[in-house]
Amino acid sequence: MTAIVSVTELSVAYRSGGSGGRDVPVVREVSLDVLPGQTHALVGESGSGKSTVAATLLGHLRHGSRVTGGSVRVGGADVFALPARELRRLRGGTVAMVAQNAGHALTPSMRIGRQIAEAGGDVPVVDLLEQVRLPRPAELARRYPHELSGGQQQRVAIAMAIAARPKVLVLDEPTTGLDVITQRGVLDLIGALRDELGLAAVLVSHDLGVVAHMADEVTVLRSGRVVEAAATGRLFAAPQDPYTRRLLASVPRLDDEGLALVGAAGEREVRPRAVVSGDAPVAVSARDVTIDYGSARAVDGVSFDVRRGEVLALVGESGSGKSTLAWALAGLRTPSGGTMTHAGGDRPSGDTKSGDLRSGDRESGDLARPAGKRPLSLRRRVQLVFQNADTSLNPRRSVGDAVRRPLRFFGTVGSRAEAVDRARQLISDVRLEPALAERLPAQLSGGQRQRIGIARALAGEPDVLIADEITTALDVSVQADVLRLLDDLRRERELACLFISHDLAVVRGLADRVVVLRHGVVVEEGPTDAVFSAPGHPYTRQLMAAVLEPLPGVGPVVDGGENTPPTNRRKPYTQGAP
Amino acid sequence: MFSFIARRAGAAIGTLFLSSVLVFLAVQALPGDVATQVLGKDATPDAVSALREKLKLDQPAWERYVDWIGGALHGDFGLSLVSGKAVGGEVGMYLGNSALIALVTVLFAVTGSIVLGILAGLYRDRWPDHLISTVSLIGMSVPEFVVATVLVLCFSVALPWFPAVVLYGPEASVGQLMPAVWLPALALAVVMAAYIVRMARTSVIDVMAGEFVTTARLKGLSTWRVVTRHALPSALLPTLHVIALNVAWLAGGVAVVENVFNYPGIGKLMLASVQNRDLPVIQAIALISAVVYVVCNLAADLGAMALNPKLRTRGRTR
Amino acid sequence: MTTLDTPAAVPAVPVAPASAAARAWRTVRSSRAATIGLAIVAVHVLIALLAPLLTSYDPIANNADQALLGPSWEHWAGTDQYGRDVLARVLYGGRYAIGVSVAATLVTLLIGTVVGCAAALRGGWFDDVLGRVLDAVLSVPSVLALLVIVTALGTGPSVIVLAIAVVYVPQVVRVVRGAALAVVPADYVTAARARGESTWAILRREILPNITDVVCVEFAMRASWVVLLISSLSFLGFGADPPTPDWGLMVAENRTAITVVPMASLAPIIALATLVVGLNLAADGLSKAWGVDRIREGS
Repeated sequence: MTAIVSVTELSVAYRSGGSGGRDVPVVREVSLDVLPGQTHALVGESGSGKSTVAATLLGHLRHGSRVTGGSVRVGGADVFALPARELRRLRGGTVAMVAQNAGHALTPSMRIGRQIAEAGGDVPVVDLLEQVRLPRPAELARRYPHELSGGQQQRVAIAMAIAARPKVLVLDEPTTGLDVITQRGVLDLIGALRDELGLAAVLVSHDLGVVAHMADEVTVLRSGRVVEAAATGRLFAAPQDPYTRRLLASVPRLDDEGLALVGAAGEREVRPRAVVSGDAPVAVSARDVTIDYGSARAVDGVSFDVRRGEVLALVGESGSGKSTLAWALAGLRTPSGGTMTHAGGDRPSGDTKSGDLRSGDRESGDLARPAGKRPLSLRRRVQLVFQNADTSLNPRRSVGDAVRRPLRFFGTVGSRAEAVDRARQLISDVRLEPALAERLPAQLSGGQRQRIGIARALAGEPDVLIADEITTALDVSVQADVLRLLDDLRRERELACLFISHDLAVVRGLADRVVVLRHGVVVEEGPTDAVFSAPGHPYTRQLMAAVLEPLPGVGPVVDGGENTPPTNRRKPYTQGAP
Repeated sequence: MFSFIARRAGAAIGTLFLSSVLVFLAVQALPGDVATQVLGKDATPDAVSALREKLKLDQPAWERYVDWIGGALHGDFGLSLVSGKAVGGEVGMYLGNSALIALVTVLFAVTGSIVLGILAGLYRDRWPDHLISTVSLIGMSVPEFVVATVLVLCFSVALPWFPAVVLYGPEASVGQLMPAVWLPALALAVVMAAYIVRMARTSVIDVMAGEFVTTARLKGLSTWRVVTRHALPSALLPTLHVIALNVAWLAGGVAVVENVFNYPGIGKLMLASVQNRDLPVIQAIALISAVVYVVCNLAADLGAMALNPKLRTRGRTR
Repeated sequence: MTTLDTPAAVPAVPVAPASAAARAWRTVRSSRAATIGLAIVAVHVLIALLAPLLTSYDPIANNADQALLGPSWEHWAGTDQYGRDVLARVLYGGRYAIGVSVAATLVTLLIGTVVGCAAALRGGWFDDVLGRVLDAVLSVPSVLALLVIVTALGTGPSVIVLAIAVVYVPQVVRVVRGAALAVVPADYVTAARARGESTWAILRREILPNITDVVCVEFAMRASWVVLLISSLSFLGFGADPPTPDWGLMVAENRTAITVVPMASLAPIIALATLVVGLNLAADGLSKAWGVDRIREGS
């Protein structure tokens, strides 16, 4: 059988900074073959060039990029040598693309039906919509993209791609940004269509779990180069390259009983969870908290305690109210009911360098008040780390300045010189070079920025740390490092940590207790091990079933269905990885 | 959908009310006693006080405002201090003449500049773009009176195709004015088009780089279809409000050009009435300009609604 | 820094970040349009400052014997109807145009930036009311508003500065507010709020540094409009008082004699156009170099 897609020694370069810039290679001598009916996955972290390779199958390059070597052949035709008319026929007819974010990929001013019909083919629009398992297709065809939920939009994008019955489907991170359960549904659909229509597929993903479930062959890319290529079963069972091994080892698993530490060669060592002593004092206590957004209730009667040195995970899909709760604790939203209190108490021994304990520090504080109305000592002791490190640091100020400001503001240090020293100390506490202090955020990597975000939170010498999806925007290997840092810090500083995440597997290794939220209500709560070994609520079971782990041949996909309401209230900060 | 229109219309009325107050206050703040100004320094105190009473200058300001705005709503803007005629009729006459210029200008400037802007955006960084961008930069950099003067030099002096100045008064018929309309309209169109071209270019570039345009391309659609069906509705959205602002700008922009050509329009009247301190006329012109501004913006909002289904269907999903 | 991507993690940049000024200078240098534009403006400023050294003629002294002369060795650009040297008047004319424009633009931008930032940060009723009032001011044609103010208060340079501020502050507020609104929801502003910082501190530390590029572009852009507006005002006879050398005034004075001494009209036109082209090029270049998107910021 001859390959339907054949990429040979492809190199692509991007010209930086206008005409005078130099060529920056983004793809270097990548080769791969896809046989008819086969699914080939391109895996890699951000900047690996995987999306660039995928787009070349349709003869598409980003503005400013060009092919510097090699060729791409699809269905026997050299894509970059085709005349414009032929290329148009190839697009849609032979190869079709499902883009990463359907919300942006659908034209906002056109009805769904028109957009699908435009893609060509003889299949009626209603049949196509039915084929992607969308309810009431005739009515849906008359809608505009913004009237659909994220999952529905992605299904429409798939319908559009298969309209002209192509032979190859290019899927560029097709489920990134969707909730786990929705993701599961979309992946099932893609799998079913692929078999039904006998499609070959090229799947681009950073998510090894998705790849393990979907692909026959995998090519691992790093900085534009192929690191390893193999059949899925072999790759996941016995990865050859150390990079692949480390990548695989970094993925958190549902059955990890502690945080997995990954070695240089990709060996995996599970560190037992920190033991929280039974008499550890409660740091934060929430009772029947209710938060409203206008007339909509985001959080409804939630109660929990977090003790010193303990990690409590708040888990749920987008719209579950978990981030709202975090922001309320940080004083950025005012709850409409219930109580949230900070217990006060002594700070842990060995961390009283400032020696500046005012009497207010020992009293309990009311966390229901907005930040501006809390006493300084309380603001200082409850600190928030943001999801997106790219926007949580002021791009015009050095990262050292970002750490020094709270030091000075909270009065933790006396003089300017002392602030400089303490900031360097904090930066090295989060396992970074103190010399980085003079850099601007743009000069750091994503993981480094997130560490600076943590250092800034530590500057107030808090005893409560709220981590709001802090690893969501990071690559898996970086995520593993940041999780480890967080785990170290709570041990060293006896932090009460509220860890917010949509990813159950991430929570598994780190959290001591789990609270599962759905539509603002707690559906399940308990010690992590208990919840994971015997989930009590059907929703928890559904969430766990939807987690895709990077193990080849894991059980068949369960039909999750769509559980997001039609008005998809996904908040920007809960949107997924890059 | 209707609530959106209603909200916008309500805001427009609010703006109009505020601007009428501002206009009234600003004009009242003009120094000097109007009656003395009108009658001259040698007028007898009796005559002055009689005029003051006639102009209701002895009443409190808010009462005069209510009087004025009440009359204005019925088309009665009072009497001109200079000619003694009804302001409404006089302004209307000049306004009609200006509308002639404005119509020609808008027709040429808007259609021409949108086409040029789109072309420049589509041929980004190639010669059509460089040419159009350079010309529009120059168009932006030269004041109207210069464009007008150069046009006169070219098309009245060197090539005697159009009249350099208008010899008719405000009562001139459309037929009499028609030959004189083209040069002022062209001068205004050059300046106005420059801004719209640049805005259209930027937004076309922006939208063409968007994901949904890429998706449409990768569906194998022709460039024409991608541009007209997918890109243009979104690209025109930000341009709409610039067009509206520019059309509203015409209300003041004509002042300079009409004076160059001695064209009997609202701009010339504006200048004359400011020189003569003909307060009722100034107020009327300002209020009418405010109406033009508000109506243009409202039209742009409606246009935006036609182009953006999100605005139309807001009530349906949420 | 991570166990995985040790090699490529640290981007190759100078260890110590350059100062903000040096950074700005580098961006300016990277854009040809901005360099040319700023150079043109600099030449204009120099000429205006050095005018007395560049010409020995008095720009306002009448000389009836020398009226309406064409270009010659003594009068490079000829003379006008009062026998004044056109070149001298053009050279001196920049003083009024640039001086008043810079003052007016500075005042406008200062007020506009403060009010715009405050509106974006405070939001709520303050923002609403402000928006309404600004819209109402905008609805009155700027030429008319200028004329009324100038008639009321006279034609001194300070009045023109004030009048320009009244007319253009609303537009600057809109632009700056738009730019600041893009910054306000950023997490670093939220972090400052969570720390309980004061509005002023947030404005100064977090917001202003992130909109300086917008403000700079706005300055260049606005300055070009102000130059145009002031010259139009002078042309209409409401700006500079004769016999002040001013470009707009010169065009108005010499327009009728354009067939006799074209240079008397063309020279000020060229001066005016080059200054505005320079400002526009600078604004364009800066906005491209800094990636300031004028669509998002409105107007």
